[in-house]
Amino acid sequence: MEGLFFNVNGGYVEGIVRGYRNSLLSGQNYSNLTQCETIDDVKLQLAPSYGDFLASLSPNPSTSDLASRMTDKLVSEFKYLIAQATGSSAKFLEYMTYGYMIDNIALLITGTLHERDTRELLERCHPLGWFETLPVLCVATNIEELYNSVLIETPLAAYFKGSLSHQDLDELNIEIVRNTLYKNYLEDFYNFINTHPDFSGTPTQDVMAEILQFEADRRSINITLNSFGTELSKLERRKLYPEFGKLYPEGSLMLSRAEDVEGVALAVSAVADYKAFFDAVGLSQGGGGLGGMGGGPADGKSLEDLFYQKEMDLSKLVFTRQFTPAVVYAWMKLKEQEIRNVTWISECIAQNQKERIGNFISVF
Amino acid sequence: MSGAVGREAVFPTRQSLGLMKNKLKGAEIGHSLLKRKSEALTKRFRDITRRIDEAKQKMGRVMQIAAFSLAEVSYAVGGDIGYQIQESAKQARFRVRAKQENVSGVLLPTFESYTQEGVNDFGLTGLGKGGQQIQRCRETYARAVETLVELASLQTAFLILDEVIKVVNRRVNAIEHVIIPRTENTIKYINSELDELDREEFYRLKKVSGKKQRDVAAADAEILAARQKKAEEQAANPKVPDATAIFVQEEEATDVLGEQEDNDVIF
Repeated sequence: MEGLFFNVNGGYVEGIVRGYRNSLLSGQNYSNLTQCETIDDVKLQLAPSYGDFLASLSPNPSTSDLASRMTDKLVSEFKYLIAQATGSSAKFLEYMTYGYMIDNIALLITGTLHERDTRELLERCHPLGWFETLPVLCVATNIEELYNSVLIETPLAAYFKGSLSHQDLDELNIEIVRNTLYKNYLEDFYNFINTHPDFSGTPTQDVMAEILQFEADRRSINITLNSFGTELSKLERRKLYPEFGKLYPEGSLMLSRAEDVEGVALAVSAVADYKAFFDAVGLSQGGGGLGGMGGGPADGKSLEDLFYQKEMDLSKLVFTRQFTPAVVYAWMKLKEQEIRNVTWISECIAQNQKERIGNFISVF
Repeated sequence: MSGAVGREAVFPTRQSLGLMKNKLKGAEIGHSLLKRKSEALTKRFRDITRRIDEAKQKMGRVMQIAAFSLAEVSYAVGGDIGYQIQESAKQARFRVRAKQENVSGVLLPTFESYTQEGVNDFGLTGLGKGGQQIQRCRETYARAVETLVELASLQTAFLILDEVIKVVNRRVNAIEHVIIPRTENTIKYINSELDELDREEFYRLKKVSGKKQRDVAAADAEILAARQKKAEEQAANPKVPDATAIFVQEEEATDVLGEQEDNDVIF
């Protein structure tokens, strides 16, 4: 039933995205890329999918230039999509940009705290996280002003409200602020796709719920692992866990009590997928490199790699469904991973470290 | 040789000869000491050169690993974290202490690096994702900086030692090729001048004594002639007592004494 009228509003966007999906690099492209000797060769190999955006690059560009050009293409395509979307699809696409907004705001708050010229910071902001009132953030010169008059105008105001006061912005580590916001954002997004009348009971709800649950679990696990050895207390840590996902609530509770890697492995052991990841990297046996691409696992896969792999698999599966704006989300994630992959490959080429060049994630 | 280095402007006296001999002795001791110092420094210098070579090669490797770990971070985090790191770093975790080391009287600064435990300003960066990579990247870079500090202290020592070795070698060469030959020349000159004086004196003495002998011979002949005349007179008139003969004999004795005394005065 949901397919009957979907194409009236969302058909064009979905069609465009499926077209974009076809320009994603395939395994064949990647194996060509890994054979490259210089960045120029990489550029040449990327020409079919990124042609006009890479054309203006100087010969032998730096990897960061390459990555920023690729991001430019992603941004311009996404902007086209969001301009074409209407109704609930448009709202969905807006939700996707909130994650980047959080990063931008965290950046600006850091700048304001250290009394930097915030205008410079605007250039560093991620273009997807751009919103109309973002430059207004530069007007604020102190944290209180920022909180009271500026943040309230942003789309993220709801995420600040209730969990962070302006004193928190001053005292808390900006990373905690960022992760609190992100937690609120994920919960809100999850709520949105589950309760919005256009989405509940549609494929969108199915696939996005799974993806967001995974995202929430991944964040909880990562936050736990990364907080070992820092001053982050268990109580504060618990506040950063999104309150949904496969791990919630028992797993989250156990995570919040975990004191070492084994504790985390135990907490996630209820979910088969995550247990498999921990087994694969050998963390559950209590040892070795923490999610290390560098040290530890023999096959070179780290926990983060496995998470990325899982995310890509989920994103790939989204394309098997129809009549849903979730394909845009999936395409976006795949594209980002692709940019990371190309950056990794070109770093390996630039630094002459070919032995680890295969450490990217290709799903097609 | 003597034309090249010349000699010092001194009067060729025995006193200055003594002074010069002392100076030569001092110069030789100084030369051997400086030579030894120069050798010790050169040994140290070679050692440092070797260690610089090692450190540079090590630095190449470490920097490569560090740059690669940064690539890992950007892969894991999926973006640029440079700004966050810059803003959240407030205290230095990695610090450098400067010390001085004494190598044969040369003060070489050495840098010693140490990490201030407990300073962990961006421990929470990448909390959501990539935190472990960031921490590992930091460790790798800390090692890279350690190598850099080691290299810096070696390079400083290298420069300072180079300068000092040059100065010492210049001194050694100056003593060996200028001061010692010049002093030797001066000594030679003083000796030759003194010898010359000796010879002159000897010749003069010989002359004086020759003249004295002639005078004595003439006096002897006169006395002899006087005696003969007396003997002839006695033969003619034997009654006259031989008083004059005694007088002459006495006079001869004092004359000899006088000559002896004269000799003493000269020498």
